[in-house]
Amino acid sequence: MGKDTIVIGVIGSDCHSVGNKILELFFTSEGFKVVNLGVMVSQQEFIDAAIETNAKAILVSSLYGHGEIDCQGFRDLCLEKGLDPIVLYVGGNLVVGKTPFSVVEEKFKRMGFDRVFTPDIDLKQVAELLRQDIKEKFGSSLNGQENKSQSNQNKQLSQAAQADQNNRQEPEGSRTK
Amino acid sequence: MKTVISIDIGSTWTKGAAFALTGSGFELKEKISVPTTQDNLVVGFHETLARLLHQDPLTPLEQLKGLSEIFFSSSAKGGLKIAAIGLVPDLTLQLARLAAMSAGGKVVKSFSFALTGGDVSELEKLNPDIVLFSGGTDGGNSKYILENAKKLQSSRLSCPVVYAGNRAVAEDVLNIMKSREVVVTENLMPEVGQVNIEPVREKIREIFLKRIVAGRGLAEIVDLFGSQPKPTPLAVFELISVIPEFYQDWSDLAVIDIGGATTDFYSNTESYLETDTVVLKGIREPKVKRTVEGDLGLRVSARSLFETGQSYLEDRLREEGFELKEMEEFVDRISSRLDYLAESQTEKILDQILAEACVYYAVLRHSGGWREVYTPQGRVYVQTGKDLRRVKAVIGSGGFLSGEKSTAVMAIPLKKLRNYGEEKKLLPDCPSFYRDRHYLFSVLGNLVEKYPQEAASLAVASVENLSQKGENHD
Ligand code: B12
Repeated sequence: MGKDTIVIGVIGSDCHSVGNKILELFFTSEGFKVVNLGVMVSQQEFIDAAIETNAKAILVSSLYGHGEIDCQGFRDLCLEKGLDPIVLYVGGNLVVGKTPFSVVEEKFKRMGFDRVFTPDIDLKQVAELLRQDIKEKFGSSLNGQENKSQSNQNKQLSQAAQADQNNRQEPEGSRTK
Repeated sequence: MKTVISIDIGSTWTKGAAFALTGSGFELKEKISVPTTQDNLVVGFHETLARLLHQDPLTPLEQLKGLSEIFFSSSAKGGLKIAAIGLVPDLTLQLARLAAMSAGGKVVKSFSFALTGGDVSELEKLNPDIVLFSGGTDGGNSKYILENAKKLQSSRLSCPVVYAGNRAVAEDVLNIMKSREVVVTENLMPEVGQVNIEPVREKIREIFLKRIVAGRGLAEIVDLFGSQPKPTPLAVFELISVIPEFYQDWSDLAVIDIGGATTDFYSNTESYLETDTVVLKGIREPKVKRTVEGDLGLRVSARSLFETGQSYLEDRLREEGFELKEMEEFVDRISSRLDYLAESQTEKILDQILAEACVYYAVLRHSGGWREVYTPQGRVYVQTGKDLRRVKAVIGSGGFLSGEKSTAVMAIPLKKLRNYGEEKKLLPDCPSFYRDRHYLFSVLGNLVEKYPQEAASLAVASVENLSQKGENHD
């Protein structure tokens, strides 16, 4: 308790697992509660895990060069599911070919990511930014953030309920996967 | 030599068996069934016991009591109805459903996210025996939980609520639901993907017992014999849990039981084997798993089976040269008659096709699947749900399958499932088919707690291998 939960994972069909393990160890040592979904994670899985754990941030990795396609619509899906204020970061090998980083960064920001990182980023700096961003969006970071964030959740609730209305009830016997 | 008696009070039949306990284990001496006496279960129980002990049926129960060791189970009227509430459908809700079914219950409805006014009135109408209330990891989401707790508190529901959600707000839930019977247990998903359903199962079992025992005379039997009945599905669950502990050859097995009202499927096999090329998504399901399908059954549920199973039925009827209409008429005839026995050759075939459809949809829902993903370094499989590929033995039990000597009812639907949709289903690779020839599993399950090895031993010895005889329909 009293730790901010963050969800991490490698998106799409991407199997690069080494960096993901490092991120888990690093952010845990920085005092976050890390929920690591591993490799080949879909947008839906990131969001499901964030809802159950009341996460403050999702850190998406993409190493294999298809990040742009895999991340399309991520923020929209978060909004759809009622995760409005959640902090969204993306990092890894996002630059393909000779495109300058600033152009790539701009693309991902337009998709709704709050920050975009290159593979050589100093992770200490990322942790600092993350604490700041969580504080900004949720009122406070780490211990004692409970009330504010719960009331934020409160606001999301009605929207989430609305959004899930369509497919949330499964009649017995017609379970589909 | 000692005699041990086991009696299972089902919704239609009260089945009893007498076993001789010798140095080498159990031996079946006699097996009988009498119609269940719905208003007072003691009457049928008494008759079964007296007959198994070869005593005058008028001998008072107290006098029969000392004559042998007695175990019993009851399915309670129609099984235990559970409404499952979770947060995300693929996470806590999925686990809540699994826990409910593995505890011997029947899930009448599932709800995810926030309950609406409509959901609450539906819950009231369904009038379940238990509401299983979960959601959120420990220290995780609480908003939906507290919101749902308030809705449940102000509802007209009267059944007990088992709370197995975010532990951090368990006390708040108790406070909000002050005027309700709320039993708090461990979170069924303390961390994302971590499965913890044993404590919930235990709590459901306790409530189940209270309910079975209440009314219809069972309390009298409990008082007299000083032991509690077992919920029938739990008895089978325990039997299939214990078999591989004593018999490694039976390490990966599945049991299917088609009844008039429900179809139960049990599996005991590792749900996921980690390899470089298979990635598991969602929760890792438990090794021993039970699912029960309330819309699949041969008599009471024949109508709903006809609707659910339309596409399978059409396909098979065409192959066997029947019209859908003939099946519909047959279904109309049998669905109001609990103990109707198929008479003509045609009816027998129709009955068999219905049973196949029960197998088809029960396995479809119980088993996981995988999707192929092409990555530049080759193919990778993304698995969801339970992998049944290693299952070597599929055993048919229950009134219908125990009497079925051909593999067809199980083998045909499994074969058809191989071509199901785009997702590959993780079905038993090349199973042998067996039948619980004397329909002993439920009565043997009652003995597992006290005589695990002896019960497992007789279960294994009494099944008949159908595959050895080839595919002929005799
Ligand atoms: C090892 C490796 C593999 C192994 C992976 C084994 C495994 N289990 O992980 C294998 C052989 C399987 C593999 C396969 C492929 N690979 Co490869 N692989 C590499 C390699 C050599 C090292 C990756 C690594 O582990 N680095 C070490 C870790 C610590 O660093 P990292 O992954 O970058 O993660 C750090 C940072 O990026 C950052 N970070 C990551 N995510 C995030 C997120 C946030 C929010 C933040 C703040 C930071 C952050 O922090 C991490 C920790 O420090 C790289 C080249 C390289 N030197 O990077 C190529 C590389 C990643 N692979 C590449 C390619 C193309 C592939 C393949 C598509 C092609 C192929 N020919 O096989 C396949 C894809 C398979 C798949 N479906 O994913 C390209 C990607 C090109 C691109 N994006 O434009 C690279 C860059 C090689 C290259 N120069 O071409 N690969």
